[in-house]
Amino acid sequence: MMTAARTISFKLNGMPVTADVKPHHNVVEVLQSQFSLTGARETCGQGLCGCCTVVVNGRAVSGCLYLATFLDGTEVTTVEGLDTPQKLHSVQEAFIETSAFQCGYCTPGFVLMTTQLLDEHPDPDDEQIKHYLTGNLCRCATYPQVIEAVKLAAKKRKGS
Amino acid sequence: MTMTHDAPKAGSQVGRSVPRLEGRDKVTGRAEYTHTMRLPGMLTCKLFRSTVAHGRIKSIDTSEAKKVPGVFAVVTIDDVMKVIPDPYYGPAFHDQPILAHEKVRFVGEPVAAVLAMDPHVAEEAAQLIVAEYEELPAVYDEVDALTTKTYVHDVLKPAGTFADLKHLKDARDTNTALDYRLRKGDVDKAFAQAAHVFEHEFKTQKVLHLPFEPHASIADYKDTGVTVYTASQGPSFVRTEIARLLGWPENKVRIKVPYLGSGYGAKLYIKLEALVVALSMIARRPVKLALTFEELFYQITKHPSTFRIKSGIDKDGKIIARKCEVFWNGGAYADIGPRVTQKSGLTASGPYEIDNVWIDSYALYTNVTPAGALRGFGVPQLVWAYESHSDMIARALKLDPVEFRRKNLLREGRPHATNTIIKDAAVEKVMDHVLDRMNWSKPFDKSTGVVKRGRGFGISIKAVITPTTSVAIVNVSGDGSVTLYCGTIDMGQGSDTAMAQMVGEVLNVPTETVRVVPRDTDVTPYDMGTLGSRSLFHMGHAVQRAAADARDKLKALAREVGEPEGSNIPVRDLFVKKYGMQAGNVIGTGIFKPDYIPPAPGTGLSENVTAFWMVSGAGAEVEVDTETGHVKITKLVNVVDVGKAINPRIVETQISGAALMQLGFTMFEKMHIDGGQVTNASLADYKIPGFHDVPTVMDNSHVDTNQANGPFGAKGVGEVATFCVSPAIANAIDDAVGVRLTELPLNPESVYRAIRAKAGKPLEDE
Amino acid sequence: MTPFELAEPTKLADAVKLLDPDDPTVRPIAGGTALMLMMKAGVFRPAKLISLRGIESKYSGIAASGGGLRVGAMTTLNALERSADVKKLAPLITRTMLTLSNVRVRNVATVGGALAHGDPHMDLPPVLMALGAKLTVISPNGERSVALEDFFTGYYETVLEKNELIAEAHIPAQGAKRAAYMKVTTGSADDWPALGVAVVLDSDGKAIKSARVVVSAATTKATRVKSAEAVLAGKTVDDKLLAQAGDAAVEEAEFIADVRGSVPYKRELLRVYIKRAVRQALDGGAQ
Repeated sequence: MMTAARTISFKLNGMPVTADVKPHHNVVEVLQSQFSLTGARETCGQGLCGCCTVVVNGRAVSGCLYLATFLDGTEVTTVEGLDTPQKLHSVQEAFIETSAFQCGYCTPGFVLMTTQLLDEHPDPDDEQIKHYLTGNLCRCATYPQVIEAVKLAAKKRKGS
Repeated sequence: MTMTHDAPKAGSQVGRSVPRLEGRDKVTGRAEYTHTMRLPGMLTCKLFRSTVAHGRIKSIDTSEAKKVPGVFAVVTIDDVMKVIPDPYYGPAFHDQPILAHEKVRFVGEPVAAVLAMDPHVAEEAAQLIVAEYEELPAVYDEVDALTTKTYVHDVLKPAGTFADLKHLKDARDTNTALDYRLRKGDVDKAFAQAAHVFEHEFKTQKVLHLPFEPHASIADYKDTGVTVYTASQGPSFVRTEIARLLGWPENKVRIKVPYLGSGYGAKLYIKLEALVVALSMIARRPVKLALTFEELFYQITKHPSTFRIKSGIDKDGKIIARKCEVFWNGGAYADIGPRVTQKSGLTASGPYEIDNVWIDSYALYTNVTPAGALRGFGVPQLVWAYESHSDMIARALKLDPVEFRRKNLLREGRPHATNTIIKDAAVEKVMDHVLDRMNWSKPFDKSTGVVKRGRGFGISIKAVITPTTSVAIVNVSGDGSVTLYCGTIDMGQGSDTAMAQMVGEVLNVPTETVRVVPRDTDVTPYDMGTLGSRSLFHMGHAVQRAAADARDKLKALAREVGEPEGSNIPVRDLFVKKYGMQAGNVIGTGIFKPDYIPPAPGTGLSENVTAFWMVSGAGAEVEVDTETGHVKITKLVNVVDVGKAINPRIVETQISGAALMQLGFTMFEKMHIDGGQVTNASLADYKIPGFHDVPTVMDNSHVDTNQANGPFGAKGVGEVATFCVSPAIANAIDDAVGVRLTELPLNPESVYRAIRAKAGKPLEDE
Repeated sequence: MTPFELAEPTKLADAVKLLDPDDPTVRPIAGGTALMLMMKAGVFRPAKLISLRGIESKYSGIAASGGGLRVGAMTTLNALERSADVKKLAPLITRTMLTLSNVRVRNVATVGGALAHGDPHMDLPPVLMALGAKLTVISPNGERSVALEDFFTGYYETVLEKNELIAEAHIPAQGAKRAAYMKVTTGSADDWPALGVAVVLDSDGKAIKSARVVVSAATTKATRVKSAEAVLAGKTVDDKLLAQAGDAAVEEAEFIADVRGSVPYKRELLRVYIKRAVRQALDGGAQ
């Protein structure tokens, strides 16, 4: 039985790390408070908006609904793990070039989900994009621009 | 004289779709927002909120909460008043207490605050607070608020900022926080002469901004000064108001604003800042309050409204009289509601030239979450009514809806209802462009099956909030690099990029090399606020002037060091010549405040009521499922007059985003309130547009115009595409199935009920 | 969320022993996507959660068996979505997955959780009920089998005792039956449905031999509407028959009003969507 804090180990953006978590801590608060990673953000708190998206063992999850203790032994990727000091990820480039965001608060979630989408559908059509990203909301409503960004990212990915 | 590196051609910065300067920070998740900021030693605040809509506080029992291990303090208004004796704040009225004082006035009003290092501890403790209230009768409806004997406030306390509120000082037995009037001509006489008189009533529902970064503020109080990190659209106002509350000079109050996870008006004026300052004074440590998504429903909303509009039409289809009565449901605290009431109220008669106009616009207190500005400063509520009204009149008189409008449109050089002469407002051009993009002159297949098709459009005008002031500083460093200091908040609208483009244009440097410093009132000069699509025009002017001032000073420096006229010496070398090394600065400043004549008391008339006019139009094609009432928007055309576009791609994104936001307000968004309680305060039950709500075809454009008095011919765009979406869709639904909805949202059940009612088989109530 | 204890048993049999039949503050957690919502809203404040993530892997697999599917309760919705066996034996499920919540939820939420939660708005209950699914439920006292149509007892209520867990679901193969699931949203397009209708038809052209019709979301619980099934059985589909089936379903179902619509409106939606779902099934719905 676990009641108090426990130390978990996982890989965070490729680096082995440990964290002290309590059962009621979710992934977002642990990333923010213990790793200063603020790209995953809690907005709706219900897994509906996608601002809290992180990738656990290759699959996107809502960090606000995912208990941090369940990260033990996993590999976690956050938006901060996509780029290098030299180069942005092609999806990130595509979002900038198409101006597919306004306030940017939801953008990390869209970027991460787009990388997942392109892994599954390298050449997605509009319907595939909409269905895959339907769990990501943008209050600035840059949806038409996001569709452009995803298509540009697909093109960049094929080219690289 | 050459600025930095590769000098661009003059005229190459403005009008270019420069990618956003802050793009890299945003796509990598590294952009800083207040909601995710932490300070060392910071305490987190969780609020205990009122569960009753209107009541006198009998007791607040915080004893159990204080016992929770890890709780630092539990604070009520009594504690606050020990550090801030007069704890009332607000931009129009000093009516809002930092925590509930003696009374609560809406469900969700903050009553007590718990401080702890661990937010979970604060949350747990807040749940242990118990308050007892003597419940009072409550008023929820804006029309009832005008006549009820239930008063939300015992006595009104205007802030003193606005001349038209002074007569309300110490007023009692009223819920009216502003009664704006416009009187032009003689409406009664004109109605008597009219061939036809039409009178309709329209309503809008309570909706809210829902910025994805909910409100968040952190205060770090020291006796020598206080620093507030806050998600605010108006740091200058926050500074003024905090200084007033503390009895301090402004220079002891520092407001810092990082990126904003959007605002849409939600983060204007003062929101959480006074509370966190008080808490930090009490705790003597940094204190953070970051709202949850659910708490947004108790912070600020759009105004629900009732609009009674009456028009007299002569035998030729000319509108000869219009009477407008607008009731704005302001909620428990005035916030900026009185300005919404006046500044939008003055355009309630629409983009039409009407000789006899009578407008009454009332800001009303009620016992619900306060209302403020939401992407349009009230104008979307008005356009919803007057452009639905336009179509209803045309339909009733069997007039073509285009020709009816064309006969009455306000044109250049003609007087608006306020008597201000219309200038640079491309009303007819925008309408024609909408019609063109809609293929209006082509036959339209309305279909005869279960799903019926229809189309509609609307046209609108708005006056910018006037007069307001902006100040900017442009600093050229010793290496020739350029830094802009301006208080406009980039909350996603791309203002940093657009302002940098203006600087680049004047100083002949690439936009990408201009740094825009983060907002910090210790550093960035005064700006009235990022609101009402005012920034590009007002701050744009200040920025242009500051850049020109810097340019002139550089030229003077060149002369001083003996450079011939027209020299292309690099700026760095200029500084080296002057100071013997890479050193020094050239600082240019710019201030802008437009001319303005206040509306005359009594008539509301003014020959110069606005710095510029905004114009937009929208057209919609819909498919209505007659068996269920579902409306599919197959095409949405949005056209705005932005003058010259500084950054065409950002303009397009703003048009698209504004229209889609309004689409949500039009089709389904609604705060459900039962006995003062919000029953759908979550994203699970309050739905906003997603990918599948985007119309099949979105056609966004701006007309090619020039705002003669604007910076580089430009004017604002942020709100403008919201205005006409609602009436365009309602008009299209009427075209499709012959039913007229007069209350938003146009959800499937409303449409279905209207279809059944028209067929003489009304659907029973619950 | 407020603090709670977490237990992580490695066997299902141990998990049920950790549950307390008399303590509502002790609950199992699988994917947690639904439970976390209740916890974050403060509607549910657990003293202790029993995580099922570590239990035997056989409870998170899908197998074709005895002409149908055996689906472990801990199977994620994502696994269900991608299973070739599911696509072959029960294509209605595969098709439903596309619009069920969103990718992140499907990656985490489990079949057992989606059923045990008892939320009438979810898509899986009506679909599995229409397909005739049965559940194996275990407790410290042993196991029992419950037909899904007998599983839900009310709004967020099921027959599960507080110390019972779903172990697996058994789903008969769809075979040659034609099927459709339609949901209607009245808010945004991706709102929770105001109505769900699942139909599975044993038919020959337009002649229906037998039908299973399930209504959800508009009702307190996913509900089989047997009166509508009786109207359809042995008849050839035409507008009149579908109208009769709709009337029968409206008569039988227990509707609830909420922000998504009034009861009278949901009744009308059901009339329309019984008709549309049967037609969609016959016109090449999932088969």
